[in-house]
Amino acid sequence: MSHPEIDPLPESEDVKSGAGAASTDELGPSYLTVTKTISSWVFTLDHKRIGLMYLVGVLFMFLLGGVFALLVRTELFSPLAILTPLFASTPEAQADLYNKWFTTHGAIMVFLVIIPGVPAALGNFVLPLLLGAKDVAFPRLNLGSFYLWVTGAIFFIYVLFSGGIDTGWTFYTPYSAESGTAVIPALIGVFILGFSSIFTGLNFIVTIHKMRPKGMTWFKMPLFLWATYSTAVIQVLATPVLGITLLLLILERTLGIGIFDPRNGGDPVLFQHFFWFYSHPAVYIMIVPPMGVVSELIATNSHKRIFGYTYIAFSSVAIAIFSFLVWGHHMFTSGQSTTMNIIFSGITFSVGIPSAIKIFNWLATMYKGAIVLNTSMLYGISFIFLFTIGGLTGLFLGVLSIDMHLHDTYFVVAHFHYVMMGSGLVGFIGGLHHWWPKMTGKMYDEFLGRIACVMVFIGFNLTFIPQFVMGSLGMPRRYYTYADKFEGYHQLSTIGSYVMAAGFFLTAYYLIQSLISGKKAPMNPWGGNSLEWHTPSPPPLENFYSVPVATDPYDYVGMEYDQATGNYSTIKPDQLPARREER
Amino acid sequence: MIAIPTILADSEPSFWLPAPVSNFAGPIDGDFYFVYWVSIFFLVLITLLLGIFMWKFRTPPGAKAQSHKDHHALLEVVWTGVPIILSVMMFWYGYRGYVDMVVPPNESISIVAEAQKWAWNFSYASNGAVIPGMSDDFNDVRAQIRAGALTPEEANAAEAKILEKAGLHVPMGVPIDVTVMAADVLHALFIPAFRVKKDCVPGRTGKLWFIATEPGIFDLFCAEYCGQGHSWMHSKVVVHETVEEYEKWLAVAGSYDETLPFADNGKIVWKRRGCISCHSIDGSKKVGPSWDGMFGSTRKFAATGTPGESIADEAYIQESIRFPMKKIADGYPPQMPVVKLTDKELLWVTEYIKSLGQNSGGTVSPRKDN
Repeated sequence: MSHPEIDPLPESEDVKSGAGAASTDELGPSYLTVTKTISSWVFTLDHKRIGLMYLVGVLFMFLLGGVFALLVRTELFSPLAILTPLFASTPEAQADLYNKWFTTHGAIMVFLVIIPGVPAALGNFVLPLLLGAKDVAFPRLNLGSFYLWVTGAIFFIYVLFSGGIDTGWTFYTPYSAESGTAVIPALIGVFILGFSSIFTGLNFIVTIHKMRPKGMTWFKMPLFLWATYSTAVIQVLATPVLGITLLLLILERTLGIGIFDPRNGGDPVLFQHFFWFYSHPAVYIMIVPPMGVVSELIATNSHKRIFGYTYIAFSSVAIAIFSFLVWGHHMFTSGQSTTMNIIFSGITFSVGIPSAIKIFNWLATMYKGAIVLNTSMLYGISFIFLFTIGGLTGLFLGVLSIDMHLHDTYFVVAHFHYVMMGSGLVGFIGGLHHWWPKMTGKMYDEFLGRIACVMVFIGFNLTFIPQFVMGSLGMPRRYYTYADKFEGYHQLSTIGSYVMAAGFFLTAYYLIQSLISGKKAPMNPWGGNSLEWHTPSPPPLENFYSVPVATDPYDYVGMEYDQATGNYSTIKPDQLPARREER
Repeated sequence: MIAIPTILADSEPSFWLPAPVSNFAGPIDGDFYFVYWVSIFFLVLITLLLGIFMWKFRTPPGAKAQSHKDHHALLEVVWTGVPIILSVMMFWYGYRGYVDMVVPPNESISIVAEAQKWAWNFSYASNGAVIPGMSDDFNDVRAQIRAGALTPEEANAAEAKILEKAGLHVPMGVPIDVTVMAADVLHALFIPAFRVKKDCVPGRTGKLWFIATEPGIFDLFCAEYCGQGHSWMHSKVVVHETVEEYEKWLAVAGSYDETLPFADNGKIVWKRRGCISCHSIDGSKKVGPSWDGMFGSTRKFAATGTPGESIADEAYIQESIRFPMKKIADGYPPQMPVVKLTDKELLWVTEYIKSLGQNSGGTVSPRKDN
């Protein structure tokens, strides 16, 4: 079992021989080992390899964005300058540096990590498997969107080396029109990333429409597909608006055309409308796919039919539709008209309902289930708790009168971190653990996995609960230094971020360790019944040895667990005693 | 000379919210606690259920679920319906509270708050006085407290001294109508104790209003990110107990002592009108060029404005203040806002720059250039 080389994807003897696999059939090479040249990876059209390359890229960017988060949190440990004096001599330059840090953290995490995290990295790997398909509808376009992502990422790296950017990830005008930092390369980077996102969305929409297997109607799809589909629609419809907006901003900066800058006759609030017309739906690009992941995690690890399938499916669609109608709630204090504020506040509450429906249905799924508290289930449960807080604190901000006080304070910062990180990223990490054995063919250390999950959970809450309190007490966001009365809250928050970081480093450790010396993964380690669990881990090049027939993805009755191999064996679909739809 | 109420307000901050000292604090805090208790109820409910299910139904791998029931119409109706009803209530409370905040009453005292990078200026409609926010002076006090150079009493006294001629001053019990404006980029006027906030948008005006309900000194922040000095751009609100005290303060604070030499008044203008945030007088480089030794030197201009060079004489200085984007000093960003100085202020500040050293030609390059 030992592989001394550090190659993360070593050719496994076990895979070739089939030893330890669930099936006794002779297995061919997996998608990881079928070809070995570098060009077979760089030019691959295999959705699994593309997904894996996305994953490596996204995780690297997560590390980078995380380092900037730690720099920001460390600096805020005290109202005095702590870290910035190491890099800059005057107080002015130190403040500039801090502004670059939080901007870089936000922009990397939003555009390069959370938005592509679940759809592009996990989705690319899992979506065709869930459909029993060989690949996505447009494999070349898929590779194209990956390289667009890489290009966008390179622009961001360039921004880092050309002095950074200090506009905040929102690029609000007129500050972004006059800031002396590398705004244009960052805008071009985001523009390119937008196309990556559009192409992925387009690919997934067509794939789900045209490539479902025989027997899989819309309402027999795994819920992750509903979530991915809803997200893809948002990606295709909303992202172009961001692209146009950023192009206009580039024109404004380079040619001095007055669109957003009042000095040239432009309107800064118009920029906010354009920006949030994309960026509010983008919040759902970040949260709906992890919700889909969590539906799979909860059902599979409770070994019980998902409760309220149609309600969860429709709630994803409802969120996607409502997401286009609430952007103005980011602008309650901007001076947009009173009537618009009232309308946007009203519609904002409509987004809360489908979210509540999802939470209650997940809870009902757990009721009387057979819950295995493995790492991915712990992440799923963490998601429900953190998303509950993220959602409930959103209510405060949707209430017009309260938002007058809370807008642009740390309360908002804490709220969107609960949604985008506590829910979005925790869902992503949960999904990563759920499908890790399928991707790599290796089992990770469950004990360390649970410890790391608990560390992330505790660290996360310690980081952001104090931010709610100081925010409602009046601490504005994006502050390099602050009034002494907020120091205690900031210190708790910083300590929390260290605990969380330790949890993530532990995760990185045991995941890398699993690649080197992990136990071989069986075909179906968690007892799932969607199609990806009906093919070897890792799957062969074209995913399945024989064309699979869609079964009910949430039917766990016919699963038998084998203690020796750690595998759930499923009875072949045609031997299932009573299919649900025939009852 | 003038009474600045240095005692803290009677109302104490709670765990969640600052001391409630305006007419809006009560209703908004009421809305806050309504949403808060609804949220606490659902958080506790969901967490308890999560915990109980995790504990009660946990099994080793391989066990079978006790039930496979996957739908229950009544449950779905309940957990859709209850959130809808609560949402409508929340929306209604927020709407009602917000509408009250939109239009100031007719009998209000009018004040204009103008934000610039990184200073506040408050103009008082009754006598046209322009009172600065004096962020830099408050920052100095803050720094001295941290360095242990000031006891809390001394710090209070120092702040009271600054506030004699700075800050947003209002009388208690009278509606205050604040028009917000911005000279350069977005800012936002935020007074946590009053629960009010409004974005200052260049090219537009915005409005907020309130009635202060207790005398005292309260924080005033910039809440919309505006670059380098965003976190330093704070000031104070002073609530006077009576209108008479407020008016007495305003009469004195708004005036310059015209018996002083021009350059001395110019130094006051430098501090009051926010020049200090970007222009040093000791040669150190800030956002803009230092005034030290500027007068009479040869200035080079960047291509972003009118390129070329000229001697920094009176005409150049006054043109640069009136039309800051016309000639951009080489090596500096084109960021200076139009600060609307009065003619006298312009004269004084020019005289002050003159007094900071005259060069007889030769290029003065910005110092500490790296």
